[in-house]
Amino acid sequence: MNKHPYVRAYLAGIAIPTAVLLLVMTGYTIVRYVYDIPVPIEKVIVFPMAAVPNAWGLWNVLYLAFLAKPKRHFSLGLFGGALPLLLAPGGYVVTRLLGFAVPHEVYQIAPLALPVGLIVYYLVWKYFVGFLNAELGIA
Amino acid sequence: MSEREMEELKKLLKESMPAVRGPELRRDLWPAMRQRLAEPAIRMPWWDWALLAAAAVVILLFPTMIPTLLYHL
Repeated sequence: MNKHPYVRAYLAGIAIPTAVLLLVMTGYTIVRYVYDIPVPIEKVIVFPMAAVPNAWGLWNVLYLAFLAKPKRHFSLGLFGGALPLLLAPGGYVVTRLLGFAVPHEVYQIAPLALPVGLIVYYLVWKYFVGFLNAELGIA
Repeated sequence: MSEREMEELKKLLKESMPAVRGPELRRDLWPAMRQRLAEPAIRMPWWDWALLAAAAVVILLFPTMIPTLLYHL
């Protein structure tokens, strides 16, 4: 199975956020329309729906192209763990561009949320994306 | 294609593909395979468990960060 390794890397990358997105969207829909929470998240939902899964896929392609074996072996967990350093500012820029009023609590919790996000991304990339890469023969 | 042509074709094919030298394996692969099968599917080192526990504790202490995290996942 040596054909199209970058396509397989892209597909392995987008699999996890795409699956999680289904759960997150269900949760947001229930919270927004069943419990009438006054946060118009649909204005900025384009970021997790479109940008994040594609970023994961492209990040995995970059890893395969430049950092994976046999060229050199850099930790997939550390590489994936660095992705929030791009996504967090990206998400913030999207909210600003679309005029979304970010709740004040988000700014208060951001210094704690970023390290937690880095840890979550490190673990998810190391174990889940790594598993998918191995299953697709590109690990 | 006649019978004779078929025989000639077989002969030409055999001549063009040399026989494999040393078809026997140099070592028995089965013990390594058994060892691999016996290994747990996922082995997490202790520092990954520590990171997971730390992240879980912080999320439980500050659940308001959950929507922010989900927004970026």
